[in-house]
Amino acid sequence: MANQGWLTRELKAHGVSRREFVKFCASMAAILALPPPVAAKLAETIEKAEKPTLVWLEFQDCAGNTESFLRASRPTVAEIILEKISLNYHETIMAAAGHQAEGALADTVKKYAGKYVAAVEGSIPTGAGGAYCTVGGKSALQIAREVCGNAAATIAIGTCAAFGGIPAASPNPTGAVAVGDAVPGLKNLINVSACPANAENITALLVYYMTMKQWPPLDQYRRPLFAYGKLIHDNCERRAHFDAGQYVEAWGDEAHRHGYCLYKMGCKGPVTSQNCPVVRWNEGTNWPIGCGHPCVGCAEPNFWDKMTPFYRHLENIPGFAVGTDVDKVGLGLTAAVGAAFAAHGVIEIAKHKLGRGSGQSNGEKGE
Amino acid sequence: MSAAVARPIPESRRIRVRVWELPVRIAHWLIVFSILVLAATGFYIGHPFISVPAPARDHFVMGTVKVIHFYTAIVFTLAVLSRILWMFMGNRYARWNQFVPTTRARWRELRETFKFYIFVRRDPPPTVGHSALAGVFYAGVYGICLVMIGTGLAMYAPQASVGSPMRWFAFLIPFFGGLPTARLIHHIGMWLLLAFAVHHIYSAILYSAVQHNGTVESIVSGNKFVEPETLAAESEESDA
Repeated sequence: MANQGWLTRELKAHGVSRREFVKFCASMAAILALPPPVAAKLAETIEKAEKPTLVWLEFQDCAGNTESFLRASRPTVAEIILEKISLNYHETIMAAAGHQAEGALADTVKKYAGKYVAAVEGSIPTGAGGAYCTVGGKSALQIAREVCGNAAATIAIGTCAAFGGIPAASPNPTGAVAVGDAVPGLKNLINVSACPANAENITALLVYYMTMKQWPPLDQYRRPLFAYGKLIHDNCERRAHFDAGQYVEAWGDEAHRHGYCLYKMGCKGPVTSQNCPVVRWNEGTNWPIGCGHPCVGCAEPNFWDKMTPFYRHLENIPGFAVGTDVDKVGLGLTAAVGAAFAAHGVIEIAKHKLGRGSGQSNGEKGE
Repeated sequence: MSAAVARPIPESRRIRVRVWELPVRIAHWLIVFSILVLAATGFYIGHPFISVPAPARDHFVMGTVKVIHFYTAIVFTLAVLSRILWMFMGNRYARWNQFVPTTRARWRELRETFKFYIFVRRDPPPTVGHSALAGVFYAGVYGICLVMIGTGLAMYAPQASVGSPMRWFAFLIPFFGGLPTARLIHHIGMWLLLAFAVHHIYSAILYSAVQHNGTVESIVSGNKFVEPETLAAESEESDA
């Protein structure tokens, strides 16, 4: 073989066939919305690409993003790329513990300063001087400043790291914030939101970086456009039912059994951007709407506060009871204005009639 | 009610004033028409109440309603923006300072008009164009219109086709606190505009009745009939 790069060796060692590798490259090209011929180019480049050095930090999280990776049913190319690249620090999967582990992190930050990639999972608490989350005697905030501050790029993985997520949901007792808010002015911050982030998208992001030597274009929330450039609604397999006007009205009704649109059941697909309908989950097995459940909008900022109630079209109105329908309030308001002015009109007419009766002149001039 | 009694017309001294220029009237009616269409289609989009039979390929109810909503939104946006532009080009009754009280006289008029509404005064202080109180309300209405345009563009941006210049408006999404909140604000704004419309129609009729100046008709003809003193007092005030 002409190119006996690190990846080729690793793939061989794990018994992954060349065919599987090429298939992987084709799927990556598809996720990145690149034309098919690029897949071959991608394969060539990935093989020769240098190993990126990665450290994976976990703060206020449930390790769900890590779990999402590890749940692959067979050793995929993606896993090899993610696990066998120089993953110098990862609390959940590294063998080292204690001082040894912290040493590995400190070494990487020093040795590869400005070159490594910091992946962050979980939000960062700012309350109580950062005491709500400490690792090795340092607060999450301190670690994030040190590690992300010296990284070539920071990838905030999952909605907690990207936007604060569930720890930051009201009333946010720990003062949890997103990585980007905790350490402002980070160089190359990329948010890969969702709960959990789709492993395919993180892999595609790293493949993009390895092959293009740059980071992909981002949206207004610093999410890669290849994964977050389209609303779920616009790629949804049930979209034809939405446009036709056919909706599920109740769980298990005829429309639900026929796979109609879940819009009226509170689906957040129209306000959520991600490529779930295309990439799907668990190696393309299925995705929430595919199995009859509305999208809950997990990839968007203020997920939880703004996407709840999950089964209603609109979020709660501040100051009103949970589940209050804003349109009922609005109709009430319009009716009240109508009633108030109707009353006003009656009084006005009465007043002028009485005024005329007493012979008062109509019209007071020159203010 | 007794039979109609012929009374002399006390307004005969009144002079005709071209208050609302043609662009103002056109903008007004375009805004009225578009708000009605947008509210009706918008309500359906929020609460699709029409039952559509299978199969999906034979129907496009929501799709059609959305298309009507979007095209009407273009009319609405251009009408509102043109009217705002006209605040800096039009006659004295169309100008921006009709919507914010900039003089002491306008502040006094605002207070006096309010007194009229709460029945303290018998008649409203005479005005040719908008009363100071109405002007402040309209400023609020323009504000709501701009918020509706902004939230609408924010929600439209991510569904615009790739490469469409409309995608640029995605920058408004974080400004309105995310898409779900933009949607909530859009619903609230609709009801505020409809509630305003109720008040607006009532007040126009009320003013027409008590000022005998043709307020209601003026938005079609452009003319109001005012007493010479009112016009003179107003000219003095604006010259001062």
